[in-house]
Amino acid sequence: MDSRSIQVVRSGVLAPIKKWGTKWSLWPVHLVTACCGAELAHAFASGYDGERIGALNYGIARQTNLIIVEGAITRKMARVLRITWEQMPEPRFVIVMGACGLKGGLFWNGYHLVKPSDVVPVEYFIPGCPPTPEGLLRGIRSLQEKIWEGKNRNSIDFNKIELARKEIERRIPTPPKIIARNPFIKVDVPKDVDWAFGNRLVNELKEGLGNLVERITITGKNRICIRVNPKNLQRVAVKLKDKFDHVKSVNVIDVPYDNTFIVEYVVSSYSNRELMPVLVTIATKISKKNPKLPSLHSYWVSADYLEREMQDLFGVTFEGNPWGNRKFLLAPDTPDYPLRKDFKLEEEVYARDEATEGSKNEEQKQEQGGDKE
Amino acid sequence: MLGISEIFEMFKNNMVNIPLIQPIIDALMNIPLVNYVVALVLWKPFFAIAILPGLGGIMLVLLLMVYWERKLTARIQWRVGPLEVFRPLRGLIQPMADGFRYFFQEVIVHVDAHRPYFVQLPILTFIPVLLPILFIPAGEIVAIRSPYAIQIIVALIALIPITIIGIGWASNSRFAYIGSVREAMMYFAYEVPFVIAVLAMILMYGSGDPYVIVEKQSVPGIIMNPIAFLVFFIATLMATSRLPFEIPEADQEIAFGPFVEYSGILFGIVMTLAYEKLYIMCLLMSILFFGGWSGFAIPLLGDLSPVIWLFVKAVVVMLIVALTRSIYPRFRLDQALRMGWTSMLAVSLVSLAVALAIRLSGWLG
Ligand code: SF4
Repeated sequence: MDSRSIQVVRSGVLAPIKKWGTKWSLWPVHLVTACCGAELAHAFASGYDGERIGALNYGIARQTNLIIVEGAITRKMARVLRITWEQMPEPRFVIVMGACGLKGGLFWNGYHLVKPSDVVPVEYFIPGCPPTPEGLLRGIRSLQEKIWEGKNRNSIDFNKIELARKEIERRIPTPPKIIARNPFIKVDVPKDVDWAFGNRLVNELKEGLGNLVERITITGKNRICIRVNPKNLQRVAVKLKDKFDHVKSVNVIDVPYDNTFIVEYVVSSYSNRELMPVLVTIATKISKKNPKLPSLHSYWVSADYLEREMQDLFGVTFEGNPWGNRKFLLAPDTPDYPLRKDFKLEEEVYARDEATEGSKNEEQKQEQGGDKE
Repeated sequence: MLGISEIFEMFKNNMVNIPLIQPIIDALMNIPLVNYVVALVLWKPFFAIAILPGLGGIMLVLLLMVYWERKLTARIQWRVGPLEVFRPLRGLIQPMADGFRYFFQEVIVHVDAHRPYFVQLPILTFIPVLLPILFIPAGEIVAIRSPYAIQIIVALIALIPITIIGIGWASNSRFAYIGSVREAMMYFAYEVPFVIAVLAMILMYGSGDPYVIVEKQSVPGIIMNPIAFLVFFIATLMATSRLPFEIPEADQEIAFGPFVEYSGILFGIVMTLAYEKLYIMCLLMSILFFGGWSGFAIPLLGDLSPVIWLFVKAVVVMLIVALTRSIYPRFRLDQALRMGWTSMLAVSLVSLAVALAIRLSGWLG
């Protein structure tokens, strides 16, 4: 098609027919990432019946013209959203529903979150958590009106205030400083429990492990904690692997006050009936500067993925893990090590109303002054 | 050499006679040039292909079927269905809106596609779809009259899956590939029982000539040989991928199979393919089982009245077929194949035996 024939469709004699057809035939493909999807289902079920206004839920982006984004879009999903949007033939529209899609909602300021409006051009936002089906249908109707009239219209008239856009430093309220005099995180607090088998087991372990471990404690019924030096971790694993056949979880605890990580392997057994309910935690402390540990995946296969995840979130290197230093669960462009306590979030930029801001500041000053007096 | 005047004479001698609008036609025939057009349009073979039961009928059926399917599904699910687009007609023009939308949407031809075939094949599919119409008579209105019409129609219908497989091949994508393989498999599932059922009816009537068949149906064929009808009906569902057998297209699993890569007007064309096939098979069904165009003559409509009877019968069958979409789940491919090769084949053989018995009893002469 040359440009003139396109022009005929856009604004010539055929334009009203095209607009009319598009208006009454908005078939949404829905990109459900979270709970708003339930509300979309409701909007198209017998209670509200979105098909009244010609919107038919459809599965394939290639043949439709509307995406409804429901819920939070993570960095990984953002790519999917963009690809899906690019697959769609013109004219195409995007409606975003839910607080998550607007500003992050529940997940506001999360390290993994992307605003859909940064990825694709969005026609309408439907606020709410979740928005009601009426809200969604109203969004679709507004889009219809927009297609027909060619211009956006808010469905509510807001009060007007003059906004001066200026990027200002974000003032974070200072948190109340309640720091314990002697902060500590202890993973093995002993507890007195009536557990004969446990006592026997601890004695057995003590005999078997000898001075490889620093200390073995019972921290509750069916819970045993073994504290080891990182150097001895592998040797302890060799000894334990016959008794306990799998790793249930691998945790890392960030201890900011003495700059260390505590890495825990929780092991248990699937084959020995007596040991099945018992969880044994192997805890070890490593420095935060150079967090390195030998990988235990060769003794317990199930440790493999868990170690990769910890590598993603805390940056602890498990030497010998076949995955290496790549990102495993997180999208490649996620900032490094989001679960560390000193991780900095990207700061948001706000626009403020200068006029009212000035007077407010003065009021605050006066108030503070008044307090001092 | 045929001159223009001779061709005009030929048209004029073989025109559809509709008493209701005869005065208008007479008036138009006196205007030079316009009379050529009128004569061509009302020339019986042309009328059969282009208007009823041909292209015009197909368009009408498409609009009606899409609306009816959406509305029926909606009602079964306790919803209202398309409505707001035009309230006075309960949203009857919804398919038109969808059609316009598809028509004006961008057509994407992806890089992996076999470009010429990807664009040509949807249009080429009209050939096997429209060719059978040439042989489907409706009273006096017929394009090509042949004593082997039924056999020819069945043979031509068998060509349609080939174009669908071609479409899937030209799309060159995973889902399209799976879809076309499924289409080919389904073809094996229904074709043999379908042909045997038609064969049974031809054997029963002793001829493949629609005129003879309609004449012999003092009692409708469905009552004489209900078993053949059963097989024919299920085969129709399979052949047009209606819901219990919507296996090649299965949008929840393989995203419209062979048609997954199409967009805009091309998708509009390929999506209607199944409906067109359904229309032709329903026309065939009404000729074989429901007495074709027989029905009391409406004097005002003249030659048009048998056409309308045939059309109405076919449409009623289609409306019933549409019900399956909203009330059945989908079979797996292997289930459908097993069904085609065991129970359906057996039942079709029984129908052949019934037909033979009727033939030997000499009931139909
Ligand atoms: S906006 Fe609320 S309901 Fe919607 S996806 Fe987010 S959390 Fe769920």
